[in-house]
Amino acid sequence: MTSTSPGASPATSSGTTIARPTTVDEAATVLRESRGTVVFRGSGTKSNWAGRVAQPELTVDTGELNRLRSHNPADMTASVEAGMPLATLQGLLAESGQWLALDPPTEAAGATLGGLLATGDCGPRRLRYGALRDLVIGVTLVLADGTVARAGGQVIKNVAGYDLSKMLYGSLGTLGLIAEVVLRVHPRPEASATTVAPSSVHAAARTTLELLASALQPSAVDWVGDTGQGAGDGQLAVRFEGTRAGVEAQTAALQLMLGSAGTGAGAGAVARTLVGSDENRLWQEFAAARMASSGQTTAFAGTLPSRLPAVADALARAADATGVRARLASHGALGLHVARFTGAPADQARAFDTWRRAVLAVGGTVLLRDRPAEVDEVVDALGPAPATAGLLRALRSRLDPDGRCAPGRLGSWL
Amino acid sequence: MTTYLELVAEKATGRVTDEVRGEIGGLVGKGGVISAPAELRTYECDALTGFRVVPALVVLPESTDEVAAVVRVCAREGIPFVARGAGTGLSGGALPVADGIVIGLQRMRTILSVDIENQRAVVQPGVTNAGISAAVAKHNLYFAPDPSSQIVCTIGGNVAENSGGAHCLKYGFTTNHVLALTFVCPDGSVVTLGGDSLDSVGPDLRALVVGSEGTLGIVTEVTVRLLRKPEAVRTLVADFPDAEHAGNAVSDIVSAGIIPAAVEMLDALAIEACEKAVQAGYSLDTPAALVVEVDGVAVEVEAEFERVQGICQANEATHIRIAHDDNERARIWKGRKAAFAAMGRISPDYFVQDGVIPRTKLGATLTRIGEMSERAGLRVANVFHAGDGNLHPLVLYDSAVPGQAERAEHLATAIVELCVEQGGSITGEHGVGSDKACSMLKMFSEADLTVMALVRAAFDRGGICNPGKILPTPRLCGERPGPWRPHPLEAAGVIERF
Repeated sequence: MTSTSPGASPATSSGTTIARPTTVDEAATVLRESRGTVVFRGSGTKSNWAGRVAQPELTVDTGELNRLRSHNPADMTASVEAGMPLATLQGLLAESGQWLALDPPTEAAGATLGGLLATGDCGPRRLRYGALRDLVIGVTLVLADGTVARAGGQVIKNVAGYDLSKMLYGSLGTLGLIAEVVLRVHPRPEASATTVAPSSVHAAARTTLELLASALQPSAVDWVGDTGQGAGDGQLAVRFEGTRAGVEAQTAALQLMLGSAGTGAGAGAVARTLVGSDENRLWQEFAAARMASSGQTTAFAGTLPSRLPAVADALARAADATGVRARLASHGALGLHVARFTGAPADQARAFDTWRRAVLAVGGTVLLRDRPAEVDEVVDALGPAPATAGLLRALRSRLDPDGRCAPGRLGSWL
Repeated sequence: MTTYLELVAEKATGRVTDEVRGEIGGLVGKGGVISAPAELRTYECDALTGFRVVPALVVLPESTDEVAAVVRVCAREGIPFVARGAGTGLSGGALPVADGIVIGLQRMRTILSVDIENQRAVVQPGVTNAGISAAVAKHNLYFAPDPSSQIVCTIGGNVAENSGGAHCLKYGFTTNHVLALTFVCPDGSVVTLGGDSLDSVGPDLRALVVGSEGTLGIVTEVTVRLLRKPEAVRTLVADFPDAEHAGNAVSDIVSAGIIPAAVEMLDALAIEACEKAVQAGYSLDTPAALVVEVDGVAVEVEAEFERVQGICQANEATHIRIAHDDNERARIWKGRKAAFAAMGRISPDYFVQDGVIPRTKLGATLTRIGEMSERAGLRVANVFHAGDGNLHPLVLYDSAVPGQAERAEHLATAIVELCVEQGGSITGEHGVGSDKACSMLKMFSEADLTVMALVRAAFDRGGICNPGKILPTPRLCGERPGPWRPHPLEAAGVIERF
């Protein structure tokens, strides 16, 4: 049946039919005229996050649903189809000196706006600009039965009706297809500079809280480093953006702070300030630390910003106890962390599980991201269901009563 | 497929009997129940006083447990309930349901904890918006959303309405500043939405509940994000020869890459009212004035403030007044924030609207509103958030003049519909409530509303949680709901649709 749907192609060898709708209406038709389980796919950079979906009967690929629908530079808004890669959008917005203030690590691999909203992936500059949740002002959603619904609108300020665009943030494809997204965009800052210094995680955590309490307004405060036995200092990076004079003044103030606080061995003396391509390269390295290479496991955690030392210590203990190597990449001022495990899959799984328990115990949340298949044999991808599972199930049963959308993605919670 | 009309049909039929009254009285503390008719009337409306319904009972719980216990009784009996904060809402979102219960949260007004290093506070819903900032001011922190009613409005109401304010262009709305909610579901169960982590796993229920106007459940604790006070703040008032020039100045400021903390516009009528009320020092002879505030790091603020002044001058500003200290800044803001209340000085009655337009259509829209005002023979004062295109046209009328109230209401509705036609919204911060539920069809399709109704039903299966708000119902909008019928004024050729 699906082979007659617009944009549908014959079943692949893995048994899933792939549909590539070119319009929202086609996507709706594909869903309306099909039955069975379905996953939505952008560029596939995050398709292994959270629980695994066993053999979906249909994959709706948004690769052909990739147009810029509008860009109103003077109103600082833009609307795009969900399959538009973020990198492509940034190129289009740059022509007007603007950008979508979002810098997730998956951007370089082709991440799309729909996928980014569905997963909530974010980057260091969330500190200043917020997450995609804060930047999305409207959405077109296609339910599993083909119903096309819009929420929000084209204006930044709008409280008419439920904010379904924000509800879909982190929904991981479980409620329906995100087909179009309307966004708030920002002017590109005139200047940017990043100061980077070698630092232990404990010193970095102190500097981070000191920065938060200060009048300085960094757009990113990140720490990346190895943890566990034999791990040396990591790197603390602080980015300022704004006018040239503002960036210079804030960078100077930061260096004073680093000099007096000491982020490690004589940090003030070895702090370097990077601009231009050197600065970009540093942030590419930091982004790479949050991505898994083949055979590695990554997991994302959120805690109070002050928990950074506890999160790092727990990761070190988990790594040491299981014999895996662990690297932590934290947006320290946001309390958002990515742990990356390298080692035998079963050991990675145990290290992850130990670390997850510790993060949950301090009131945090954890989402398992990429990992070798064997990891799932040792740990439950989702972990214990939250108290909100009942509400999540109720929402799911109203919007997708047949449970077609990404079954298993939220594991036993739904 | 089910339609929203079936889903929002007001089906809750429970009654507040003597037994129920007694049971609920036993669940809350002394003085926690109001049932005398004269006292019930205090709760018959919020700040949208044109809609009034006397509830059967008012309950004033003092804890999450008490709220949950009351809600469980409502769920069991099928009795509709409406949560209420300070009652300052302008859209009838806290309008009681006849035979239903009002759950007033004004007794829950404790700041439960402040975490200075993580910059957040946990507060009960009855704490006032300004009360939060006052409590943390000594730590150089503040709560960013600042609705004009901030001295009296409560954080619970702010969460329900996703309140904005003058400074949301730069800092965002309530939804961007709420980290966690203790939430009583319509079945009386209690959950936490959000938490220490900025992101939950799965759909963002916290973000869904913020701005849901009390239709999904009752928030009994709020964890708010606090911001470090900016190092520098500069404020000016610039007078312009007309609204078009003022609007162009706003566009030029934004095009220059400056995101001001606030950009407010007042027209001559609004200035007249504000000056009569609070003498904030606005020029009485100017057709339009802009209040522009920039804040942030000192060195950037000074440079941006210089550029803002240059842009105002380039747009033929006739006078620029710079606030030289915090007192003068406070006076300027006092004038702006008093605008709605001040209308009483120049008109016996008024309707206020809350439409949003893309900012680039500001000048043209204001011109049209002026023409519509002239044709209808009614004055319209304009005071609004120019930076984000959120208009607040105040349609002035005298209810003592037969037919004038009706004409004013029609003009107000026509203005809001004009906003939608310009690609905007029927409401930027006041909420849909009872007031604009029927206008939702102007902005959304039946399918859109059906999906919203499905979301609502997921939370509130029995339809007892603030029914009749947000989504149009057959009772509210006529047996055959649909787009508004032509206005009598339109039919008579007094106004026309653009």
